[in-house]
Amino acid sequence: MRRVLLPAAVIAALLGLWEILAQTGALAEILGIRESVSDVIVPAPSDVAMSLWEDRELLLDNGWVTLSEVVLGFAISVVVGVGFAIALHLSETLRLAFYPLLVASQTIPIVAIAPVLVLWLGFGIGPKLFVVALICFFPITVATFDGLRSVDPAAVRMMRTLHANRATILRRLELPSALPQFFSGARVAVAIAAIGAVLGELVGADSGLGYLITQAQGSLLTARVFAAVVVLSAIAIALFALVSLAERTLAPWGRKELR
Amino acid sequence: MSTYGAPVMERERIERTPPAQTCAIRLEGVSHSFGELEVLSGLGLDVAEGEVVGLVGPSGCGKSTLLELISGLADPLAGSIEIEGAGGAAARLASCAYMPQRDLLLPWLSAIDNAAIAPRNRGASKRGAREQALPLFARFGLADFADAKPGELSGGMRQRVAFLRTLLAGKPVLLLDEPFAALDAITRGEMQEWLAGALLAESRTVLLITHDVEEALYLCDRVAVLSARPARIVAELRPGAPRSVDRAAAVTDPAFAAQREEALRALREHSR
Amino acid sequence: MKTWWISALTAAAVLAGGVAAGCGEKEESVRGGETEELELMLDFFVNPDHAGIYAALENGHFEEAGLDVKPRVPSDPAAPIKLVASGKADLAVSYEPEVLYARDQGLPVIAVASIVSEPLTSLISLPDAGISNPADLRGKTIATAGIPYQDAFIGRILHDERIPEEEVEQVSVGLGLEQAVLSGKADAMLGGFRNIEGVSLSERGENPLVIPVDELGIPTYDELVLVASEEAVEDDPEAIRLFIAALERGTLDAVEDPESASSAIVAAGDGLDPELTQAEIEATLPLLAPKSKEAFGYMDEAEWDEFAGFLADEAFIQALPEPGEAFTNELLPGAIPE
Repeated sequence: MRRVLLPAAVIAALLGLWEILAQTGALAEILGIRESVSDVIVPAPSDVAMSLWEDRELLLDNGWVTLSEVVLGFAISVVVGVGFAIALHLSETLRLAFYPLLVASQTIPIVAIAPVLVLWLGFGIGPKLFVVALICFFPITVATFDGLRSVDPAAVRMMRTLHANRATILRRLELPSALPQFFSGARVAVAIAAIGAVLGELVGADSGLGYLITQAQGSLLTARVFAAVVVLSAIAIALFALVSLAERTLAPWGRKELR
Repeated sequence: MSTYGAPVMERERIERTPPAQTCAIRLEGVSHSFGELEVLSGLGLDVAEGEVVGLVGPSGCGKSTLLELISGLADPLAGSIEIEGAGGAAARLASCAYMPQRDLLLPWLSAIDNAAIAPRNRGASKRGAREQALPLFARFGLADFADAKPGELSGGMRQRVAFLRTLLAGKPVLLLDEPFAALDAITRGEMQEWLAGALLAESRTVLLITHDVEEALYLCDRVAVLSARPARIVAELRPGAPRSVDRAAAVTDPAFAAQREEALRALREHSR
Repeated sequence: MKTWWISALTAAAVLAGGVAAGCGEKEESVRGGETEELELMLDFFVNPDHAGIYAALENGHFEEAGLDVKPRVPSDPAAPIKLVASGKADLAVSYEPEVLYARDQGLPVIAVASIVSEPLTSLISLPDAGISNPADLRGKTIATAGIPYQDAFIGRILHDERIPEEEVEQVSVGLGLEQAVLSGKADAMLGGFRNIEGVSLSERGENPLVIPVDELGIPTYDELVLVASEEAVEDDPEAIRLFIAALERGTLDAVEDPESASSAIVAAGDGLDPELTQAEIEATLPLLAPKSKEAFGYMDEAEWDEFAGFLADEAFIQALPEPGEAFTNELLPGAIPE
């Protein structure tokens, strides 16, 4: 219970403080802005809450769009990333050739590549999936690869004396052994995946939370912008929790070494 | 003089179940190095089928390396190793089951699934493999723990499961690398009794590495003493009593103590 | 050329923009020989629409008036009005529709001069898309910058042509208007300016169709206006007056010397193509120069009222403003101060 109560209390306290600062005008003073317009610059939590309620249909509809982009893009990156990690693990040549590229993939600024993807793939869900997959690819692949690589060599030797060939070793020893590390990477990836979806939407969309934020921003509906951000965070948190749950179910042994 | 050029401790030899004449393991002139470091030097050994031979030696003298070479995981730089007459690494791999020092039980499998790894690797279904393992579990007192995860088992139980895993590989030769080193004294004693019983029930050709001279004398038909690096066999003992499950009786036999001292002396002499 | 600057965490960007632009609080004006700092938020990246501003800067007109003008590029296009309203910026370049919308939302901002007195927003399309008039938009894809007032224009245009909104795909592409159209992924764009995107596509040899929105049934309006807060107009009209006068001088300089104007823009902008900028400047200068016999920057009340009526019809604003309350001509050069 404490695990839920303590952070909830902290959040409640911060929101409370923010609300008080906003209502008393102290917030405006801190930011150096006129009080009469401060709700357009930084809305009070109560304004955001109101938008969450009043705009709930908009937020849910667009939230669903973004959620699909995140989940599908994440799934793609899991398939591609794990496959890539296995390939790099099995072949020294591939590893030497492609590991530097793997690292470079992380440095590609999504902001720059998203518009190019839109021109190539059009305005549908394609570019968003690509951007989400790209953002998730590096943490998943690197974590899985490290997991595969760090299997105890003694365990590999043991398997070899137990009638295991290369494929069996991969399937029965290395992959399960790497599962906790894979989840490590997956948790990081899913938390940042939402950012990718939004960036993808900013450059070519007619729906989604990123699109909604653009519209709301242009309409000076800052409370709605914040509300959309809240929904985005909720999506990221929920997915993070799901992945953690999957980890506890599928890899409960955590990262204890093979004794 | 024995055939290996090393002095054999003269004892009154009480015949055990006479080992069959076929030579299950034959090492001749085995030498191996890691880079500049010479680990094994001209090592020779014959092990008959069904014989349990112990290897004792100072730490780091290359015992584990020797087992890896015998098992077919690698080939020696010089000399030959034959298992039942076949020399290639693949043949040795097919004939040897290697039990490493750590139990290396896979944490995501239950005890019985861990033990059944070898049959599964050979293509048996999950159920089929379990069916092979269950009788062994029952026979060796582990039936209640078949579905437990390794994390739930004590050290002694894990070693037992690891041993059953080694047995279930169905190979004629077992190479055991200090199987009880990590256990406390009491558990170790129990495990030694258990292993003695297991080997009496299921006869295999066994090479057992241990740093515990008493353990070797209790469990084995023959004990070879290795020198420090580069290792070679410098002494050999044949315990007086036949292998038995009653550890207390075996260890309190006065002849046992004398042999122990001889072994330790040989160790000290050659451990520089 | 209404396009968005992409900001990943827009809420944070709003806050950051407000704080960042404001760091360095505006100093209290000290009259009498001391220079007064003025934070000027541009509407967008530096581009030929700002020729008058940069000519004034380069030729020292602001300096002469005792003004230290600092132009800034906004973090996003909705920022300038917000910053002026909140007091973080002194002046902003924005658009008449945005001013009317902001006032409708209760922001106390007011237009103090018109920089471009006609619409620049255009429907732009390339020949391959097969669009020769708005009726051809049926079943097509229109790229937009995601700016709400331009979406209102599209709404009216489609309505006039009796095309149901479902039969036209509208996609918000942020900065990628030209690319969307060049790549063929969009059939047309509505959000670009005729003197910027229109010229750019022309210079590429694409032979674009460019129809300004006031030829598509939208009432005329001032595309670019100078905006200040009501408070500033009340408390410190002199500084604004001096600014506008200096801006007029700069604009006249630019009109007379397009090449200097172009190089000033290229110098101030980042990586602008000099040749293209020159072409855009030539299309833009006639739009900046005052045409009517009225003062520089004059805003026409009848036009503003009609346009406000249009916005109200489209439900873009909730309430009709009082006639003439959204702007003031009192700070224009030659106007008699009250």
